[in-house]
Amino acid sequence: MIKLEKISKVYRTREIETLALDNINFYVKEGEFISVMGPSGCGKSTLLNIIGLLDEPDNGKIELDNLPVTSYEDKKTARMRNQLVGFIFQSFHLIKELNVYDNVELPLIYRNMPASERKLRVTESLEKVGLTNRMSHYPSQLSGGQCQRAAIARAVSGNPKIILADEPTGNLDSKIGHEVVSILADLNSKGTTIVMVTHDDMLAKSTHRIVRLFDGRLVG
Amino acid sequence: MIKNYFKIFLKVALQNKLFTFLSLFGISLTIMFVMIFSMTISKITTGSGPEKDLKDVVFCDRIKTKQTIKGKANNGYSVSSCGRRVSETYLKKTKSADIVSMYTGAMPWEFILDGKYQKRAQNQTDAEYWELFDYKFLSGRPYTYEEVTNGANLAVITKSLKELFFGNEENVLGKIIHYTSLDLIITGVVEDPSKSAQNAVGDLYFPYTLLKNTEAPDDYMGGFTLAFKGKDTKQFKAISDETHEMIARLDAADTSRAIFLSGPLTQLGKMMRGYGDPEEYSKGSTLFKFLLFALAFILLPAVNLMALNFARIHERGEEIAVRKSFGAASRVLRSQFLFENILMTLTGGVIGIILSFLVVDLLGNSLSLNVNYFSNVPLTFSFNYLVFAASLIACLIFGLLSGYLPAIRLSRMKPALYLKGGEL
Repeated sequence: MIKLEKISKVYRTREIETLALDNINFYVKEGEFISVMGPSGCGKSTLLNIIGLLDEPDNGKIELDNLPVTSYEDKKTARMRNQLVGFIFQSFHLIKELNVYDNVELPLIYRNMPASERKLRVTESLEKVGLTNRMSHYPSQLSGGQCQRAAIARAVSGNPKIILADEPTGNLDSKIGHEVVSILADLNSKGTTIVMVTHDDMLAKSTHRIVRLFDGRLVG
Repeated sequence: MIKNYFKIFLKVALQNKLFTFLSLFGISLTIMFVMIFSMTISKITTGSGPEKDLKDVVFCDRIKTKQTIKGKANNGYSVSSCGRRVSETYLKKTKSADIVSMYTGAMPWEFILDGKYQKRAQNQTDAEYWELFDYKFLSGRPYTYEEVTNGANLAVITKSLKELFFGNEENVLGKIIHYTSLDLIITGVVEDPSKSAQNAVGDLYFPYTLLKNTEAPDDYMGGFTLAFKGKDTKQFKAISDETHEMIARLDAADTSRAIFLSGPLTQLGKMMRGYGDPEEYSKGSTLFKFLLFALAFILLPAVNLMALNFARIHERGEEIAVRKSFGAASRVLRSQFLFENILMTLTGGVIGIILSFLVVDLLGNSLSLNVNYFSNVPLTFSFNYLVFAASLIACLIFGLLSGYLPAIRLSRMKPALYLKGGEL
């Protein structure tokens, strides 16, 4: 489902060059739920951004769902992100000006989908995370756990094949964190491929496989 | 999607009230000034009453002479309306025009009536004047060509002048009205012309031939305006060529002075030329200066809004990054930002239009237009679709100008930087 070959990424500023990823090969099979672990600054988020086509590698090849990414033309990458990938972030990143319904609808409005179908999908997604009773609430009116569930609903509303979760439990207490991971596990059981960055060993152990990064290299 | 953009626009506008106020302030004021300016121009140039059909009419109302020494002009010059002799003998005989009329326009007429000081306007005209301007005769008739040629003591008066002199008396035709030492027999009563008129003005009209020509035989200056009416605007060039040819002949024959005739110009052309040296007037350069000024005036709020937009890019960074993550292409984000910006400028435009309405309504009398010596026309709000459309277009231009560059910057932002505080 995800194939990264010889991926390198260097961040350059005027004073300094930082090697974020160093010649990485990374493979994830369809239906896998894997955890990416490593210390801060080791390149985990860069890896996720590159898989999610939010960032462009300096070298290497990427394939998502057997589709090689041959160019980073804006329109193409936007379409691939919209169709294939759903993101979940540590800080939720819900748009604060929109209510839960509108936030969850976001990936669908970029698909020119009829309103009736969008409504159906949003309702289904909110049902999956148990948040149908909060659909008209704004993010500021929700707890952290509810925000992350709304963010999961947004990530799955477009039925993506891949979910990229960047420390989805980082801002939550352990109880809520486990709830979130169990929602992810449930999605995975229905066939969604999930790559999750985490610092939490316990959560990582509950996934199929753990990949460790150190100084931009895969170490295990 | 539009609904989504609209919600964001409303929320962002309400959340950051200072920014919203600053954005709207500049646009609203500019639109207000544009509206009041357009209303002023429209009030003057859109003929009404007797002047309602001036699209095929051009005017010559300024003539300039320069003293010459041995065929070389020195710096001294005089500018005035056209003299009676040059108008009567030359310009009036222009064959390229269908109708040519000469008239003085509004001239002061001050008198005491029943112990009260009165200030009115008199207009000395020819007979063609009544063909060229579409006065509504309430009774009687205008004076004829023969009557003008013979210097008949006749007058046409306005309804308000009739009421001033004769009260409610119905039929005043044949009655006498005194103008200085002249006893004028009233042949017609017309409806008062519009106060904003520039040519068809006056309360009392009589044949210009009634007064003795006191001009020196070689004088070109005086108090007359010539109006030339063609079948359509295509005739303007021929009229211009012919009148200039006439003046060129006069100029060649006069060794002591150089003569320059301004125009023929349309009503708007007359306004654009103003009262400066007519020889220096160039339509192109005046238009260019005007457009440059207008552009600078319009650009100011646009640049202000652009600066505010640039300053706020980072505030929107997270939202843009999220939208990108979920499939928004840069083009879509640019459209969203432009849409919001145009909504903002349109809101400013609507406020500006309402403000212009309020300002004109509250201060209309203080904002009166001094369109001619006698008419201080209060500015009134008349809804003009053209001005309204122009204001909306100005808003769109504001929106596009102030939104486009920030929108490009915004759409090119790296989402990764905003999604995890820049951590690698």
